[in-house]
Amino acid sequence: MKEILRITISLVVIFIAAGVIMGMVYKTTSPVKFQAEKKEKEEALKEMAPEATEPITKAGDWSNHGKNYEYFRATSSGKAIAYIASTAGKGYSSYIKMLISLDTDMRVKGIKILGHGETPGLGDQIEEAPFLDQFKGKTFTQIILIKGETKENIQAISGATISSRAVTNGVRDGVQLLAEKYGSGVKPAVSEVRK
Amino acid sequence: MTKVNYGTIFKNGIFGENPVFRLALSLCPAVAVTSGVKNGFLMGVAVVFVMTMVNATVSLIRNFIHPKVRIPSYMFIIATWVTVTDLVMSAYSRQVYKEMGLYIMLIVAFAIVLSRAEVFASKNKFWPSVADGFAMGLGFLLALVLIGIFREFLGKGSLWGHAILDSKPLLIMILPTGGFFAMGLLMGMLNWIDRKFFGGTGSSGGAH
Repeated sequence: MKEILRITISLVVIFIAAGVIMGMVYKTTSPVKFQAEKKEKEEALKEMAPEATEPITKAGDWSNHGKNYEYFRATSSGKAIAYIASTAGKGYSSYIKMLISLDTDMRVKGIKILGHGETPGLGDQIEEAPFLDQFKGKTFTQIILIKGETKENIQAISGATISSRAVTNGVRDGVQLLAEKYGSGVKPAVSEVRK
Repeated sequence: MTKVNYGTIFKNGIFGENPVFRLALSLCPAVAVTSGVKNGFLMGVAVVFVMTMVNATVSLIRNFIHPKVRIPSYMFIIATWVTVTDLVMSAYSRQVYKEMGLYIMLIVAFAIVLSRAEVFASKNKFWPSVADGFAMGLGFLLALVLIGIFREFLGKGSLWGHAILDSKPLLIMILPTGGFFAMGLLMGMLNWIDRKFFGGTGSSGGAH
């Protein structure tokens, strides 16, 4: 009886001490982290439409995979020059979060991967320029993942097909949303090759 | 208690009881993150830090931890330090966190951290335990970098992300299968060197 009491006390003290330490660290770091993330988000948005003269404004919320994302409108002297959406795709071991920007013709201007938890060395190649640059200038109907050489569509990274597909699907969802909201008459064919 | 020989502790950590090649512990992460030199190195740095802190903590409160519940206690200490590392890095060094954030949380499950707490820190004084944690972490780091060089060069034809060859000689090397090949070959080579030149017996044991 006495021993079980000592075991319990030993464990409880360690657990409480650890809990207090973690709580204190969380309390001091979370505001700093929140600020840093906010600043990074603003910088990322700015990067997506560098030629915008006015601050990029939020245009609305949308949801994908049951999570909430936002979309934005970048303007230069009152005229819309780019549309930006945050979106994500379900990858091999994580949701790949990204920002996409479209020009007024609904062609992809740029993609920025914000965060992911894909396999280091394989899946994380989706962040690199050779893969992401493929999307530039493509329209919705061209954004299809192909295993093998392609110039017209998107070529999957060998060894990281699932991560590549996740990015492609995320971009497609984002393009579709922005085209529905802003594309005048150039509505993409919605249902094709989704699954 | 006899005087502690720090030289021996370091030699043990890096060569004699190298976590990956001699103790064959923590092979899962060693395979998972060594598809590139840089990944292996960053993971190694995180492990050095966590192992040093865990060994220090366990050594400090080794008389307080009840022997019957020592494993849960160690696990909690490890989890605490890993979480603290993760939180601090995510707030104060965003750039590094973007590179390493993927790996930090994995360290909780590393066999090598737990095994050093159990084998060394729970029986030794503060400074030797700190030295042991640091040396073992360093041995782990060096092993990861070595496997990383082997795999990245053969699998991608590059080192630390810089292309050296135009081609990719053996793509399989950066896949998990290739990780086991690379580790087996390197382990065999090191055992051969050990037997041939130092009269050792090679490595033994094994766990994930």
